[in-house]
Amino acid sequence: MSARGEYVFKMPDLGEGTVEAEIVRWYAKPGDLVDEDQAIVEVMTDKASVEVPAPVSGRVLSVTGTPGDKVAVGSPLIVFELLGSTDTAPETPAAASPTGMTGEALASAASTASTASTASTEATTKRVMTSPANRRRAREAGISLNNVVGTGPRGRIVRNDIAAASRSRTLPGAPPTTAATPAASEAPATSEIKVIGLRRLIAERMSEAKRNIPHFAYVEEVDVTELESLRAHLNSQQARAAATLTYLPLVVLALVRTLRVFPQCNVRYDAERGVLVRYSPVHVGIATQTPDGLKVPVVRDAGSLPLWALAAAIRAVAERARTNKSPREELSGSTITVTSLGKLGGIASTPVINAPEVAIVGLNKAVERPVVLHGAIAVRRIMNLSSSFDHRFVDGHDAAAMIQRLKTYLEHPASIFIADPSPGES
Amino acid sequence: MAQMNMIQALNSAMDAMLESDPTVILMGEDIGYFGGVFRATEGLQRKYGEQRVIDTPIAEGAIIGAAIGMAVGGLRPVAEIQFADYIYPGFDQIVSELARLRYRSAGDFFAPVTIRTPCGGGIRGGQTHSQSPEGIFTHVSGIKVIMPSNPYDAKGLLITAIEDDDPVVFFEPKRLYNGPFDGDPNKAAVPWSTHPKGEVPEGVYRVPFGKADVVRNGSDLTIITYGTMVFVATLAAASLGVDAEIIDLRSLVPLDVDTICSSVKKTGRCVVAHEATRFSGFGAELLAIIQEECFWDLEAPIQRVAGWDTPYPHAFEWEYFPGPARVGTAIKAAMEPA
Repeated sequence: MSARGEYVFKMPDLGEGTVEAEIVRWYAKPGDLVDEDQAIVEVMTDKASVEVPAPVSGRVLSVTGTPGDKVAVGSPLIVFELLGSTDTAPETPAAASPTGMTGEALASAASTASTASTASTEATTKRVMTSPANRRRAREAGISLNNVVGTGPRGRIVRNDIAAASRSRTLPGAPPTTAATPAASEAPATSEIKVIGLRRLIAERMSEAKRNIPHFAYVEEVDVTELESLRAHLNSQQARAAATLTYLPLVVLALVRTLRVFPQCNVRYDAERGVLVRYSPVHVGIATQTPDGLKVPVVRDAGSLPLWALAAAIRAVAERARTNKSPREELSGSTITVTSLGKLGGIASTPVINAPEVAIVGLNKAVERPVVLHGAIAVRRIMNLSSSFDHRFVDGHDAAAMIQRLKTYLEHPASIFIADPSPGES
Repeated sequence: MAQMNMIQALNSAMDAMLESDPTVILMGEDIGYFGGVFRATEGLQRKYGEQRVIDTPIAEGAIIGAAIGMAVGGLRPVAEIQFADYIYPGFDQIVSELARLRYRSAGDFFAPVTIRTPCGGGIRGGQTHSQSPEGIFTHVSGIKVIMPSNPYDAKGLLITAIEDDDPVVFFEPKRLYNGPFDGDPNKAAVPWSTHPKGEVPEGVYRVPFGKADVVRNGSDLTIITYGTMVFVATLAAASLGVDAEIIDLRSLVPLDVDTICSSVKKTGRCVVAHEATRFSGFGAELLAIIQEECFWDLEAPIQRVAGWDTPYPHAFEWEYFPGPARVGTAIKAAMEPA
């Protein structure tokens, strides 16, 4: 389908039966010269975003889709003009019609490229001149050196040129809000943020969960004085520099223990088949706030890990989620989710179930409160657990009983670690 | 602590080892009765006798061959080759016998031989008394190659060499015997007594192999060098106002790759300097390693300063010697904008 010297790159299959992927951002625009393996577009599937490398070196003739658009796997994504074919096929650009781009548009793209920098036209015949360290910097910043004008000796690209290119990089298809900025004195009354990428995915999944799942919310207070004492003791035994233990791994361990008695809460609902799939290992989703928004990385079979290893695993998956380094399989497959707002935990919350799971457990803030204990006022550390259950599959009685069991473990933390089966455990 | 020049420090190392270890013996041309042409062994034959400080014929192959035999038999010979330029008659003994004895005998035999030999120019020695053949030896598997740049290191490294159970070729940059020399022959000579590294403890101490000395910390570029060029590089960088990190390798084999690479990764720029000829010199190995380990941190091409690819001339010694001007040119090239 392509003319001589052209290469049509189709949306690749990014695995796990992906049928389409959403464009997050373009690193190249029509007219740009790109090197093979250079990141050219960021696309997102499920919850993972992937940088797609250019399959060939060449000039970008056209691209399909602007950020937010979904492109089906196998449909044309980018048309390249292969280097060295320029002189043999001058009419080639017009042949790029499969993507709907007119010859006129291409001509203007080409002229933009040629006026933008002389360095980029030279680059068709000459290697970009810069140091290895700058090549690394450009790669890390996602900048194509072909688009950077060198100001160093003999036109070499120096470090400042890359910094400048990084600052001035405008993404094709970015909202035109800044382009139409009025005089600096009057700030615009509105600004538009396109709901794309991870945000759109979160939005879709939240709506879906709230629309389909009748949430049953249950809040119970837990006396974590003993748990806090254990936590403080364990932390005091650690080296100064070691990461401190939070409530989270202790709650997860207690939850794993609890779910042995309440397998109906450690479930993924297969709506298509009308089947509740009960899991014996507990794959705990850790609701994690990231710069891009909420992600739920998963600690697999949390019950197989001893406390410190579990704490480290939770930290590790959360950190990878925050830094966008989670492997795809780490962002799916949880059987129950724990959400904790830490110091922002508040008194109670109504967490939204991470479908297709059927339960989510939320930790509120642990604070010292006056409570009546054995007929006297005592100062105890109290933490509320705010949980939601899928009322279609978990009855209120079972949900409450499960949280009571969890509460009992947390109020008697030694029992979390006692190997003998507790009543009801198989 | 005593003030010593490099000759006195070497003499002190051998004295201490002769005294502490009865298996240590010295051998070489004119080292006994005469005390060595550079006086490195002065007084030692008088002190330890002709059985332990042995004058040999002018036959380098025989000196090294005999040393190998003695070493296999349980002694720790320190053989002096009067000038590195004269080591070649013993080269076959070193390469074919000494370097591979442990390997060839599957560890049954080993030869703790130390070969001391003065090297380098700057003393009007011409082509037969000025060579720096260290790169020839670093290319041979099975021998350690050492070159100190000051009295303190010289003594500590020589003791480490003598105690080492395997062969060591120990190069002594002879222009540094009497004082740190920065490459400017018109300046008045500076004695070691004015330099902190001229402070040398009495008795036995060791400077480890495989550990480079960061002579000066800096952030602009890394200069990797050894021997006489340590002081030349220091002067060259200072006169250009460049904040150079200067690394004195001291030990060429084993090589302190970690110190080299962490410095080059820090500065992103590098000059390698040695007095030996350039082509296939030890600097080429350094460049190769830096390229392999630090490529993505390099801001500019690595520069190399070396002697010309000719014999060391009599008449144009200072045109040959890679002095501060040539090092400065390389520094400027390495400091090109990036």
